[in-house]
Amino acid sequence: MTEPRRPLRLLRVAIILALVFNLMALVVLIRATPIAFTLFMFLAQPLFALALILMAVAVLGELRARRTL
Amino acid sequence: MILAAGEAAGQLTPPLPHGWIGTTSQWIEGFGIGLVVLNIVLLALVWHRLRAGPGAPGMWGWLLVAVGLVPIMVGFMTFAHGLESSATVSACGSCHVMTPFVRDLRDPKSDTLAAVHFKNRFILRNQCYECHSDYGLAGTISAKLSGVGHVLRYTTGRYTLPIKIAKPYPNSGCLECHGESQRFLSSPSKKDILPELMSGKMSCLDCHAPVHPEQKKEARR
Repeated sequence: MTEPRRPLRLLRVAIILALVFNLMALVVLIRATPIAFTLFMFLAQPLFALALILMAVAVLGELRARRTL
Repeated sequence: MILAAGEAAGQLTPPLPHGWIGTTSQWIEGFGIGLVVLNIVLLALVWHRLRAGPGAPGMWGWLLVAVGLVPIMVGFMTFAHGLESSATVSACGSCHVMTPFVRDLRDPKSDTLAAVHFKNRFILRNQCYECHSDYGLAGTISAKLSGVGHVLRYTTGRYTLPIKIAKPYPNSGCLECHGESQRFLSSPSKKDILPELMSGKMSCLDCHAPVHPEQKKEARR
């Protein structure tokens, strides 16, 4: 019962992480202080990488569910 | 007379070239902000459409654009803008421990070596970075890594006042610009000491000091 909801939850987390990435990027674009840029490099970018991994996991899960893989 | 002319000129701004459309950095900043706004709208749209489930028509394409492609473009824009902005004088002055240095740098009445270079436009832009980074790719990487260390020490309060340069200032920092200047090479005062300056046995700062104002022993933070 909970299995079909898993990709949905992963995608929602990926969207939230991408949103955080965008907000941190916006701070750098508006006022690029060294602290903001360091946070973007060492926090926002790993969060975005995590969002991509989550999306890839969700895509693979969907493909397996459709028996394409 | 010269001083009065300088003061009058200070109130004017030099004319921009014909057809001026802004700097590359300004365009990157504007384009980047536009992409962020577009990405936020796309993410909201995808979030809303997810209610119908990930199997909804076209959902994966929208997800790929909103969570994959547009954020990568945002990342490139932000990286380029941040990298360039982090080398500016205002970026260096954004940490308050640097305020006395930047204030002196911008003071037209100051005669420190840094202020003389700034007020006479010997270095056009990013004056702190130009002097305090080695040249070449390794110099840029080393400067950026040092910058991360500075940010960490500043935010965690692990630094001591007065701020001191980490290692003796190398002559290569001065000779990058002056080293091939005919005015420098043919200067009578440099003629006898040129080999010592080039080899680093003698520091440029032995004669050309002070570089920055003396710091007061003030409380940290």
